[in-house]
Amino acid sequence: MAAIIETQDLTKTFGDTTAVDHVTLSIAAGELFGLLGPNGSGKTTMNKLLTGQIRPDAGTVRVMGLDVPADPVRVRAGIGIIPEQETPPSFLTAEEYLHFVGRVRGITAIDEQAEKWFDILEFRDKRQVLCKDLSRGTRQKLMVAQAFLHEPPLAFIDEPLINLDPIMQRTVKDFLSEYVAGGGTVFFSTHILGIAEEICTSFAILHNGVVLHHGTIDELVTGDRHLEGFFLERVRGHAHA
Amino acid sequence: MRDLFVAMVKEEWRIHATMAGNLGFGLFPVMIAAFSFMGAWILPLFLEIVPASLLAFIVHAMFALMGVMVGSFGIMGREFMNRRFGQASLIAYSSRSLPLSERTIFATFVAKDVLFYLFLWVIPAVAGIAAAAPFIGMEPAFPLLLLVTFSLSFLEGLAVVFFLSTLYARSPRIAGAILAAGAVAVALASLAGIGPAMLLPPYAFLLAPGILPLAASLALIGIPAAVSIAWATIEYPDAARRYPNSFDGLSDRLSLFSRPWLTAKDALDLRRSEGGIAKIIFSFLMPLGLVWVFLSVLFRFIPGLSPLIVFAVLLGVISSTTYNWLTEFDTFSAYAFLPVDVRTVITGKLQSYGVINLVSLAVLILAAAAAGDAGAVVPAVLAFLSVSAYSLAVTVRLTGLYPSVMLYQVRVFLLYLAAISPALLVLIFVSILDPWYAAGSVVLLPAAWFLLDRAMLRWTAFDMPSY
Repeated sequence: MAAIIETQDLTKTFGDTTAVDHVTLSIAAGELFGLLGPNGSGKTTMNKLLTGQIRPDAGTVRVMGLDVPADPVRVRAGIGIIPEQETPPSFLTAEEYLHFVGRVRGITAIDEQAEKWFDILEFRDKRQVLCKDLSRGTRQKLMVAQAFLHEPPLAFIDEPLINLDPIMQRTVKDFLSEYVAGGGTVFFSTHILGIAEEICTSFAILHNGVVLHHGTIDELVTGDRHLEGFFLERVRGHAHA
Repeated sequence: MRDLFVAMVKEEWRIHATMAGNLGFGLFPVMIAAFSFMGAWILPLFLEIVPASLLAFIVHAMFALMGVMVGSFGIMGREFMNRRFGQASLIAYSSRSLPLSERTIFATFVAKDVLFYLFLWVIPAVAGIAAAAPFIGMEPAFPLLLLVTFSLSFLEGLAVVFFLSTLYARSPRIAGAILAAGAVAVALASLAGIGPAMLLPPYAFLLAPGILPLAASLALIGIPAAVSIAWATIEYPDAARRYPNSFDGLSDRLSLFSRPWLTAKDALDLRRSEGGIAKIIFSFLMPLGLVWVFLSVLFRFIPGLSPLIVFAVLLGVISSTTYNWLTEFDTFSAYAFLPVDVRTVITGKLQSYGVINLVSLAVLILAAAAAGDAGAVVPAVLAFLSVSAYSLAVTVRLTGLYPSVMLYQVRVFLLYLAAISPALLVLIFVSILDPWYAAGSVVLLPAAWFLLDRAMLRWTAFDMPSY
């Protein structure tokens, strides 16, 4: 499959800290790719670089064939994003927010799409509540819904399950698997290894901005290894190197 | 309690220092003192044309107004902080995790705010006057009296607006009734020939220091503040507010704009945020009313100036501060994952500003009707529109989507003053020659256009900070 995400020597620094350090990655369309790393490893910065929310200091990044720094708005028009922190506007209701996103994205069938997501994520009863008064879990549901409202071919999701209860986590995991089976691609940042092992098809381990490993979950399984042990071995080895 | 207070002061300092830098924020009171020193230095010139008692009243009223504005920020402050820093990051919102009552936390928060802004604004202003005192023949002890009366004026404004906003949160009807009763009382007092000293007891204390004006001042501060703390409401998630979808209808009605969805969102933000429409009354219309009254009085002593033109110019500058309201509840991070860029968001804010400016225009028309100066109406409207556009453009160029935090940076604030003040002074000066010369202010429009264009380029190329 052709690469839908490609980076070459991608680098981003903040002051003295190199958050992303010469990262070269190629992710094929149709993958459920997991970017794994401990806290502060550079996952969120990678996400922001790939989606044009910040500019790289060096290197190149292309998403769906587009040069991300050159045309970030066009890239974001074609993809869905769930950011690390849920940030729906305080004074719109959940329903109004989905309609707001619908207008920003030019979705014509916004009513149908919003209704569909109220049902999938089971928050119809909260549709008229101001976003600032929603629980963290419901806000997270809203952010999941806004990311997939326009049925994008590629989604960048940063810890999307963190505030959801186990039942809703199952719902979202099932949705993501179906989405990928239907031709979608997911770039999934997380430090919850169990979830990554359960649903991802390929993964990379990021530590201190450096990619330590890029491979498939199947390779681990056939080698009779578990992701957690492999991850700890690589990260600790890099930390002590 | 003491530990809580100290922690809150540290927290407040760090919030500002995070945005403006330790040095940048630390220099802010120094700058206020420097401006105050310069103002005091030229005081003798003012006293040649304006009676000292009137000047003293104006300055005291300004400090009361400052209290009103700081208090108005207090009404919205919680939401502002939530958007900027997140719900759990301030001690004031941690009554659920600390073994302290909401009232204790709120009372400490108010005390911290009072002291913080006294040190930020009032004390530096008095320090500047004290430094100038030897050069202008002012008695050395007089600044100490000013420190007391300025502080009391500031606290009076702060306490009154806290009181009204607390009432409004409980019952908009009661708040409206009390506000109306207050306005009637002031009007009756005016008709009865009772002077402004009755409205501003700290000013009366300055004129004739004594127990009665001091007690009146303290009562006007203490009673409203006590009621505010006793009746303070703290919203919890179980008090979730619900609304039917009015976003779509509003967007459709605003379809003449290029981004109606942004203007519709701004309108809902303003309407539903704490204080609601009362914000416009407390922090915009009330100060404007006071400015109009001051100008009307002041110009009895300065012949040649048209109060309407000067009011229009000041209105233009004051109106541009409403841009803060529009950006207060938004950070670009709320849009960064959508297919919009900074230019689009700023353009949306400019459209919303255009709508809010209709209120200012209505105020100007009312002022023109009150002034009965038909000859000055057209140049006044042109001056207002031009100054408003220019001041807004300067604000956007210097602060992007972050005016309420970036204007506290000394460098930015000085640049703002340097860009605005000369234009205003020239405009007011030429209007003395002929009010119609104020129409020449339209030359500010291309400057505003240029600045906005540069602002778009600057802030689009800027990686937004995380605050």
